[in-house]
Formats: sequence, structure tokens, C-alpha cells
Amino acid sequence: MPGKKLETLAGVIDAKMNRQLKLYLDICARCAICRDACHQYVTTQDVRYLPAYRAELIRRIYKKYFTKTGQFVPSLYEGRDPDENLLEELYDVMYACTGCRRCMYYCPYSIDTTWIQSVGKAMLLAAGKGSEMLTQLADAAIDKGKNIDLYKDIMRDVLKTAEKEMQDKVGDKEAHFPYDKEGANVLYAALAGTHSILPAAIIFHMAKEDWTLSMFEAANYGYFLGDAAKAKEIAGRIIDEAKKLKVKEVVVSECGHAHRVFKFFYEMWAKEKLPFKVSSILDKVSEYITDGRISVDPGKIDIPVTYHDPCQVGRNYGLFEEPRAVVKEICSDFREMTPNRAKNWCCGGGGGLVAEPALEEFRKTTGKLKVDQIRDTGAKMVVSPCENCRLQLDTLNEHYKMDIEITSMIDLVVRALKT
Amino acid sequence: MADEMKVDMELDLKGLLCPLPMVRVSQNITNVPVGGILKAVATDPGSLADIPSWARSTGHEIVKQEQEGTDFIFYIKRLK
Ligand code: SF4
Ligand code: SF4
Repeated sequence: MPGKKLETLAGVIDAKMNRQLKLYLDICARCAICRDACHQYVTTQDVRYLPAYRAELIRRIYKKYFTKTGQFVPSLYEGRDPDENLLEELYDVMYACTGCRRCMYYCPYSIDTTWIQSVGKAMLLAAGKGSEMLTQLADAAIDKGKNIDLYKDIMRDVLKTAEKEMQDKVGDKEAHFPYDKEGANVLYAALAGTHSILPAAIIFHMAKEDWTLSMFEAANYGYFLGDAAKAKEIAGRIIDEAKKLKVKEVVVSECGHAHRVFKFFYEMWAKEKLPFKVSSILDKVSEYITDGRISVDPGKIDIPVTYHDPCQVGRNYGLFEEPRAVVKEICSDFREMTPNRAKNWCCGGGGGLVAEPALEEFRKTTGKLKVDQIRDTGAKMVVSPCENCRLQLDTLNEHYKMDIEITSMIDLVVRALKT
Repeated sequence: MADEMKVDMELDLKGLLCPLPMVRVSQNITNVPVGGILKAVATDPGSLADIPSWARSTGHEIVKQEQEGTDFIFYIKRLK
């Protein structure tokens, strides 16, 4: 690789440099506490998946290009060029990381591997070596945004079946899915498909919410790709819709990363303050139950049930108790996994991994800790409010013949909803 | 005529949720020859916008699309 190109790639670190990143790159004590925190290392014993090693790849480039000692005698300080070999290694470890941040939770210096991962992905993208599949998914979402008028009628037409199901459930033939409703309180950003629209619509109807349905799915593969510009454009489809409709709140479906994109990252990327509130549907469900706007049948479900804390909902957003309270209200035999809450094991499917066919076997292997955790509870049902987690749990359920039911929070609520 | 279209490969995507229908189509498009047709049958309504958007952004073509009950059927021509 020509020297100029190596310098350009190393420059990605410089462009992303801030106090936080500098600290992460300078401070690691090599104590290896993170070794036992990462489900990928624990299940594979492959040093490449050691959180500190992932960071070390970036650290070596940093040492060679940005420290005096590293520039002087790179070999002594393990300074390295971002050459083809290193990029290949970077790809493997960066696109395999689920971004669960369990390593950060245990690290005595709170080194955030996902922050370092974002530098690694930016470097890969600068080298034209980003994930092909995630690029395709991100580009398809952007294309959909540009051509939404082609699909609106088709999608509304196909949603009529779900609308009819809602009418039957709530006993109201006049109940409809509201579209393009200007001035609504809530714009609901669902996921592609009716499974995240129908239960939410039933809940909104019963709560007498003034809502409208977004034409775009909340999921954001630009974010997983590590391409902030694409991620911003994908999220921007819903942001623009919300601004145009002058809604008061955007409510994001059960999708951990998408919610964090709207709640935390978009304003940083766009350098603007959003003129509306952003919430998760989990926040709304808890609010409706607490305020008595909807009510559920206590103990409606009596089989053993456990709750999987999605990393992006629990550890990375801090929502632990509210969803648990809802599950415990509905399920009379609730069983906690061990460990849980902030220490919960990642299911192994986050970070866009469920969309990477090449990582399917890796997901099965690295999901084994989650399988054991669930089995130890004896639960027959797992509730998890994140689409990525549920897709991964489906894979694990089939592969390990777990014979469990996997459900979303809104589906669970609708099952117990008093109509 | 679309009715006489020769299908090179058929893909059953029933029951799969987003993004898996797009992922499977992307994985399999290279299993048909350039100019060949990949037929994909999905049940996820999201695929109605997702698969055509994927085709346009990756430079392939949906030559025919139809619905049979709850099945959405796409005929995707590999262009490159
Ligand atoms: S974020 Fe999760 S998957 Fe990534 S290195 Fe840390 S523990 Fe492992
Ligand atoms: S726990 Fe933190 S300080 Fe210790 S090796 Fe891992 S990243 Fe470095």
C-alpha cells in the first residue's frame, strides 16, 4: 500500500481524536479484566475477540503515527501501519463486535470498545473495505427515502389486513391506522412489517393516543456500518417527516439501536436540537399503564417467563426496571436470568450481526452463554424488547433446540390487554 | 411475456422478517447468471418497499411483482 494512503488511513484516527479517544488509547493497563466480560472471547477463546486486543489494533497505528516514541522506534512500541493485513484483521474484529459494552462496564477505566470500534469502521470505510451487506441495507433504506411516494399506497393497502385485525381486537370498526396526520402528538416509527405496527396500534388505540404512523422503518444499518453520514440520512427520513407533520413526540419501536440513534446520536451528527421529544415505545407502555390509560390482566400468563435485557435498552440506555415491572405484572411466574440488568450477557446478535450471513455460525457459538442463562431459569418464554435480540434468540432457539417462545413487549402487553 | 419468464432460481423467504428477505436476495443474486431471474417469495409486507429499493440501489431490476394471498412475489433480474 503506498505511503500516502497509509497516512490518509492513519489520519482517520486524527480526525476522530478527542480527549476521550486519547484517554482510551493511552490508558489501557492490560489487566485483561475485559477478557471475561466479552461473550465472544469467553465462547471462542480467540485472542482477536479480546476487547483490549481490538483496541490494540487501533492503538498500534496511533503509536506509530501520533506518538513521538512510536515514530522514533515503531518496532519497540509495536507501532504498525494500517496495511492490508491489519485492515483484514480490523474487519474481522470490528464488524464482529456487537457493541454490547459489557467490556466497558467491567473495565476499571471504562474504556469504551464501541468508541474505538467506530474509529476502526471509519478507517475500513475510508479504505473502501466496509461491510458490503450493511452498505447494501443502508443504501436500500436511503433509496426508499428518496422514492417513498412509489410505496405509500402499496404499503397502506397491504396494512389493511392488520387494520382489520386491530378493529376486531378493540371492537371498533372505525379504528384506523392514521397516516400523515398533521399535529399529532405521536409519530410512531415502527419496523418493516406488521409485527411491530399492529400491537402498537392496538395499544395506542386503547390509550386514546393521538398518533400517526411513519412510512419509514426505524432500523438503521448505516449506524451498524459505521457510516455516520448514511446513518444520519436514514434517521433523517423520520426526522423530516416528524418536522413536516409538526408532531410533539417521536416514539421508536422496540429496536434498541434505532432508539439510541434518535435519542442520542442524531442531534450530534446533525448539530441541531430536535423540536420534538424522542421516546421508546417501552417508555410509552409504562406511562400508559401507570397513568391508567391502558390496563392489563395481572397474572394473565402463568408459564415460566424470563426477560432478556437488550444491551442497547439496558446497559446502554439504562432502562431496566420499567419493562420488568410490566412483565412481572402480566406473568405470574417471572424468573430472572443470572447475571441480569447491567451485567447481562449479550445475546450475540447486536451490532448488525444478524444481517451478516458470514457471521451466522459465529453468532450461534457466541450466543451459547445466553442459551445457558435462559435454560438455567427453566423459562418457557423469553420477553425481549429488541428486534435484533429476538432474531438472534430465534436462531439460538432453533439451533440449540431450546423449545421456548420469544416475544416482544408490545405483543405480551396486547395478549394481556383489557379491551 | 412475463408469464413465460424463465426463472433461474427460486427463493422461499416466507416468515422471514426485515432485514432477512433483503439479505437472502443479496446473497443469492450471484447464484443466477447475469440476465437471469431470481424469483423471491416473501410474506413480510416490509419487503414490498425493501426489495425494490435494494434492487434499485444495487443496480438490479424487478421485472415483475405480484401478490398471491399473503405471498409477495418478486422476479429480480440480475443486471451485473
Ligand atoms: S462491546 Fe461487547 S462484543 Fe464488543 S468487545 Fe465489548 S464485550 Fe465484546
Ligand atoms: S479491562 Fe480495560 S484496562 Fe483492562 S485490559 Fe481491558 S480495556 Fe485494558
